[in-house]
Amino acid sequence: MTESNDILYVGIDLGTSRSAVSASNGQRHVVDSYVGWPVDMVARKILKRPVLVGKDALDNRSMLDLRRPLERGLLKEGSERDADAVRQLLKHLLGLVGVGDDGTPGSQVRAVVGVPAEALRVSKQQLRNVMKGLVGSLLIVSEPFAVAYAVDALLHALIIDIGAGTSDLCVMNGRYPTESDQRTLLNAGDWVDDQLFKLIQAHHPEATFSLFMVREWKERAAFVGKAKNPVVVSAPVKGKPTQLDITEELRTACEGLVPPLAETMIDLIAKVDPEYQEKVRNNVILAGGSSGIAGLDKALGEALKDIGGGRVQVVKDPVFAGCDGGLAIATDADESDWEKLTG
Amino acid sequence: MGAAMAGADRIKRRLLREAVRENLAVINGESPAARRMRREASRRWLRRSLLLLVPAAFLGSLLVVGWATGLDPAWVLGTGKPDGRNPGTAEVVPLVPPPTGVAAEREGLAAGQRFGPPAPLDRAALPLPVRTIILDPGHGGHDAGTVGPGNLVEKEIALDVALRLRNLLADQGFAVLMTRERDAAVQLDQRAAFANASAGDLFMSIHVNWIPNQRARGIETYYLGPTDDPFLTQLAAAENRESGYSLSDLKRLLEGIYADIRRDESRRLAEAVNRKLFQSLSLANPRLADRGVKQAPFVVLVATEMPAVLVEVSCLSHQDEARLLADPGYRHLIARALFAGIIDYARTQTAERGSQLHD
Repeated sequence: MTESNDILYVGIDLGTSRSAVSASNGQRHVVDSYVGWPVDMVARKILKRPVLVGKDALDNRSMLDLRRPLERGLLKEGSERDADAVRQLLKHLLGLVGVGDDGTPGSQVRAVVGVPAEALRVSKQQLRNVMKGLVGSLLIVSEPFAVAYAVDALLHALIIDIGAGTSDLCVMNGRYPTESDQRTLLNAGDWVDDQLFKLIQAHHPEATFSLFMVREWKERAAFVGKAKNPVVVSAPVKGKPTQLDITEELRTACEGLVPPLAETMIDLIAKVDPEYQEKVRNNVILAGGSSGIAGLDKALGEALKDIGGGRVQVVKDPVFAGCDGGLAIATDADESDWEKLTG
Repeated sequence: MGAAMAGADRIKRRLLREAVRENLAVINGESPAARRMRREASRRWLRRSLLLLVPAAFLGSLLVVGWATGLDPAWVLGTGKPDGRNPGTAEVVPLVPPPTGVAAEREGLAAGQRFGPPAPLDRAALPLPVRTIILDPGHGGHDAGTVGPGNLVEKEIALDVALRLRNLLADQGFAVLMTRERDAAVQLDQRAAFANASAGDLFMSIHVNWIPNQRARGIETYYLGPTDDPFLTQLAAAENRESGYSLSDLKRLLEGIYADIRRDESRRLAEAVNRKLFQSLSLANPRLADRGVKQAPFVVLVATEMPAVLVEVSCLSHQDEARLLADPGYRHLIARALFAGIIDYARTQTAERGSQLHD
């Protein structure tokens, strides 16, 4: 039997674009979900490390075989390199909270990892395999459930967790969400990036830019509804830095998220016991990196007017809500349950 | 306040227990469908045990009464006449009326059959409602399938239709599993293995057709069977290319399956789906041709262990249909039609078998 004070509890939100970790020792970190290996001897010599993770990897991408190993919140299929990249990413996250050779041994770690609501059993099993040896015990939960746990919205609430790869919607009825309580949409942050890329390309065919640049522009100024200020960015046109006004393109791309989210939200609410529908309508909670799109909560609130109105709020800390929930689950779970999940 | 907190605490505990249970099921490699089936099997077992216990207790009490009153047990049980005496009107009236008509046949308890040899198994006696549906969007990853004008790709259309269909089915309470949910290459044997491991009740593979005669258009639905049609042989060969099965594997699978009762079920499913698909799509595509229900040895149909069909939902080689396939509205119509076909089949199953299809 292990003494509980030797144990480190960890909550991880493994995201397509960013991954976050919270630990019971008070450490909290977020990293870009990128992993890269130096492409050749020269790169290895310059970088002085066998593998780079997060912003480091992103900043040195020209010298790296760069991987974004998660697709729609889950391991990409088919490539051992991607599986290895997820392992490196998890190792890095755990290292940030003090797990590893110089800190808490992995066997003393009890981790809760959030995955998309409709993740398949095989995907969960894949994740388990990748995490083997990194942590002592592992509990995998649906990401919106982790968010609901974090904000104590386990009863009569609708969680909308908008990440990069997926938007996960989940009605909390006071029971562990089943398939019918949850939906996963592919309309999420990455989808907005793709739309924005195409729109800017169509409007400014002479400009050259990358998806990384588009993502950065979106993260800086994403909005739906009325623009507070024009969104002007700089991109080379025939090699010359040029100012481009992308206000309309950004609005259109971001507003593309609203109909599928609103439709699915209303659909899920309509399936709730009629007695509790009003409560759920008034307790819609947005989380995830893309929930920070300005005006998105208002737009979804507007959509609720069609079914009697309601209240949509964004969690205080959208990036950490998932992993904080994971941590809360980890610390609340019974010792006997953790023992069952060991290995 | 304290009570509310205690309530919230209770909810948390229950949710955590359920989360752990779900994780243990994944670790033990148990699918939700299998878990559900196991639960239902134990419930069925309990019901049957009770059904057997009641008459056994009743007969036992009759024997005790018979022994106490000195009556011949054969007479008491109604299996013979004691000492040549006619029981006349002194019949033993059962407490529960015996099943009659269809119900009696179903339970094999009709007069004279009670202790005889088992009656031949009637298909209608097997309560097999449709609960878990496996959707198989064709192709994926490096295998794009057919490619139409404007870079329309079969793998994308198939996935889009399957995702729409999944939502429609899930809304009706079906458990829906997909062989792929993204643009990934999945070998055909893996698709079939996934369907079998998930204990699916039916399997639907979604494809888009490409016919060399570019004026040909329409829909067609396949179920497993041999074919002499050279075009279908060629089509099956093309679809089976990524199968992962050796020729001898295929031969073994085919030998085991052509005589299977499952083929009849697959045909019924294919007919229901094809009918609905033609009815619905004709509204948007008035010149749509019904190319009918056909048999062909596609690997996913061979290796799956449940009623299985492969649907060619339209033709990418025909310009008009390619244009329609580019329209999300048309793809949604396809999904709705497939949904209606599945529901039709499931309802017939339920009606015929008198079992409960979940609403």
